[in-house]
Amino acid sequence: MDNDALVQQYVYRFTADHGRPPASSAVASALGIDQQEVLAAFRRIHGRRLLVLARTGEITMAPPFSAVPTPFRVEVTDREYFANCVWDSFGIAAALHGDAKIDSSCACCGEPMVLRIFDGQPLPEPAVAHFAVPAAHWWDDITYT
Amino acid sequence: MLLFRSEEHVDKWCSVHTLPKRPLVDLEQLWTLAKEWYSSRLTPEARRPMGAEIRAIFDRLGLTDPFWQS
Repeated sequence: MDNDALVQQYVYRFTADHGRPPASSAVASALGIDQQEVLAAFRRIHGRRLLVLARTGEITMAPPFSAVPTPFRVEVTDREYFANCVWDSFGIAAALHGDAKIDSSCACCGEPMVLRIFDGQPLPEPAVAHFAVPAAHWWDDITYT
Repeated sequence: MLLFRSEEHVDKWCSVHTLPKRPLVDLEQLWTLAKEWYSSRLTPEARRPMGAEIRAIFDRLGLTDPFWQS
């Protein structure tokens, strides 16, 4: 397995276990790889649209997981995660293959909303999702879709 | 991608923000998209769907509006 594959696997495993992506220094320490090489691997993995990076080169998103709290809080088997958007909130349940409770709110009125994935299906709830940006332009700025 | 209680709330939000209303996605469609994108994300083979794969996923879900062309 090359460094990129090792780093990608470690990042996602760490995120699943800890609820947030690791810092490059933690990846370097865990894998015994130079930190600059870890940051270079982050950039190459970003090129395959599997990570989103800050200007510092550190991970802000390991989709569907967010590195920072968001309005999409996801609970799977008693662990807390944050998703980047409502699609990613379901994505965390899909990635972890578990039941999920999603605490969010209506983007219009702010009223709290709870969505649930149970036994491999979303439970019915009065809710819809809406993209502001056409699919062809999602990665122009993946933080605003 | 944002969450709304109803289509009426999407209409109001678009009006307030002077943004065009786009095709809506229901929870079943959203769950299918989530599984297609992310169910193998923790595996060594993880990759994001690209190009024709994305179009095929959208087609299967009936998301055929030009908005979904990637």
